[in-house]
Amino acid sequence: MKKGLVLVLLVILSVTFLSCQRGTEQAGGAPRIALVLKTANNPFFIDMQKGAEEAARKLGVNLIVQAAEREVDVEKQMQIIENLIQTKVAALCVTPSGSREIVPAIEKANRAGIPVVIVDTRVDAKAMSESNGKVASFIGSDNYEGGKLAGEFIAKKLGGKGKVAVLEGIPGHETGDSRLKGFREALKATPEIEIVASQTANWERDQGFNVFQNILQSHPDIQAVFACSDLMALGAVEAIAAAKKTGQITVIGFDASDEARKAVLAGTMDATVAQSPAEMGALAVENAYHLIKGEAVKAELVVPIKLITKENAAVK
Amino acid sequence: MCPRGITLRQDFLSHYGRQLGTLSGLLALVVALWILTPHFLTISNLLNVAEQATIIAIIAVGMTFVIITGGIDLAVGSVLAFSGVVMASSLQSGIPLPLALLIGLGVGLLCGVVNGLLITIGRLPPFIATLGMMSVARGAALMFTEGRPISGFSEGFRSIATGEILRIPAPVVIMIVVYVIAHFVLKRTKLGRYTYAIGGNEEAALLSGINVRLNKTLVYGIAGLLSGLAAILLTARLNSAQPIAGMSYELDAIAATVIGGTSLLGGEGTVSGTLIGALIMAVLRNGLNLLSVSSFFQQVVIGSVIILAVLIDMALKRRGK
Repeated sequence: MKKGLVLVLLVILSVTFLSCQRGTEQAGGAPRIALVLKTANNPFFIDMQKGAEEAARKLGVNLIVQAAEREVDVEKQMQIIENLIQTKVAALCVTPSGSREIVPAIEKANRAGIPVVIVDTRVDAKAMSESNGKVASFIGSDNYEGGKLAGEFIAKKLGGKGKVAVLEGIPGHETGDSRLKGFREALKATPEIEIVASQTANWERDQGFNVFQNILQSHPDIQAVFACSDLMALGAVEAIAAAKKTGQITVIGFDASDEARKAVLAGTMDATVAQSPAEMGALAVENAYHLIKGEAVKAELVVPIKLITKENAAVK
Repeated sequence: MCPRGITLRQDFLSHYGRQLGTLSGLLALVVALWILTPHFLTISNLLNVAEQATIIAIIAVGMTFVIITGGIDLAVGSVLAFSGVVMASSLQSGIPLPLALLIGLGVGLLCGVVNGLLITIGRLPPFIATLGMMSVARGAALMFTEGRPISGFSEGFRSIATGEILRIPAPVVIMIVVYVIAHFVLKRTKLGRYTYAIGGNEEAALLSGINVRLNKTLVYGIAGLLSGLAAILLTARLNSAQPIAGMSYELDAIAATVIGGTSLLGGEGTVSGTLIGALIMAVLRNGLNLLSVSSFFQQVVIGSVIILAVLIDMALKRRGK
């Protein structure tokens, strides 16, 4: 029995030591800024992390990046923020997993005197105004405008007439909701374009595949699909290939990830809306840095958005 | 009445010894983190960890009861989401707070009892019955809310999560109360003894006159009820009830239970062990965050600790026998 206990101790110690070495690399006198991502396994957030790390190097700050295992896990994200507050980071940059659920975490950070910069997903204005917390700065792209670009693209491509499907993100997410609103708004100008199916695929690629495959079963005459993210769009592309309809259905995604750009070049996707996650990450760290120095920052920074088609899709 | 007679004392001893093992694991972890980071062993961080452990810890109590009977409950996370959204919408439709809380608990209890009936009357394996309920409750939660979170509650309701009793966060106090009651039920009541007896040997329990159906149904009911309680705490904490809340919580609860020394074969286990198991998971997650370990590596560490804990547990058990 004693042997067993010693074993536990040794293993736990060595494991934590291993992890500690990574931790201590980041220690030192420079200000510590934390970036909490929705998840670390989505290309969009990986790009954002790269941009943030680049900016942190330039500014000479220690950047700590943490993320929950699953994009939708609001409770895990809250725990991560609580734990970072304990380590007394100087500023927090967060991409909220939930527009409303993030509010209590912002309150907690503010109570500990830590300014919060929100990136990508806007915090619900009503929930925020009812709390004691304050978002020091918001950095995002205009998702509504992006959705509108996508709608206008489809309207033009279909010649103002046809049947369209939509793959939505997780309901209640500001990002997806805004894209959807913009998309619907753009299609109002062309009443002969009909949205025959609009279903959520929860931001995930495999669900994009399955949901779109199902939609194709019930609406085989669909001419275009707008997916609120590239991952779901790429899933739809596979579903279209499985139905042997490649090239017959216009696919437009959102995010302009490398893979989506390649798909656009290859012709399996028609367009994607580009945000600049790297730029967003960099701006977040810069703003956090200014806040630590006590300098004023803009309450809102909008990173420009543009449509990526075959002409400008070449991977940077 | 104890159908296992003489072996009981031996079991008791091995429980005690093994819990000591789990407890030393937790202490080792605490000491390691204390050495590694100055931010760990502070009162505010320890309260922070305790609060973070509450949700899984409370669900894991129900899971412990279920696993002691030799069953499993995969539905707890979904039942949490369903009872959470039903309670949240009752609150928002102006139903008084105490009644809304009872509705939330009631939905949880009901789901649990249905699980129990499917298993006892329907004779379904627990894995299948609760797997079905996992999907039904999740779908029901999504239908009920049309997929959207319900948020924005009164200060009174939120104080369930934000309030403090003697400077200890209210959820931690609630968790402690749940554990004290569960420990008492398991050790001092007929229901508790029957729970062990059913898990030890269901046939023998039946032959010795125990109402196996009733007791099993009650046990699944308890698991559902505690999911409802966890739903109240989670909703108050996030100021929002999400239909997608609690995904994979069943796995965390099973992990906490098994780390705590409860045998998946049934017949043995303690809630105090489960509490230590839940704390180990919470301390580990907290420590890895404090040390800024990459989120991918964190998963490797957590998985390894679960495997290691059970390996050692089994080794100790073999030696005990």
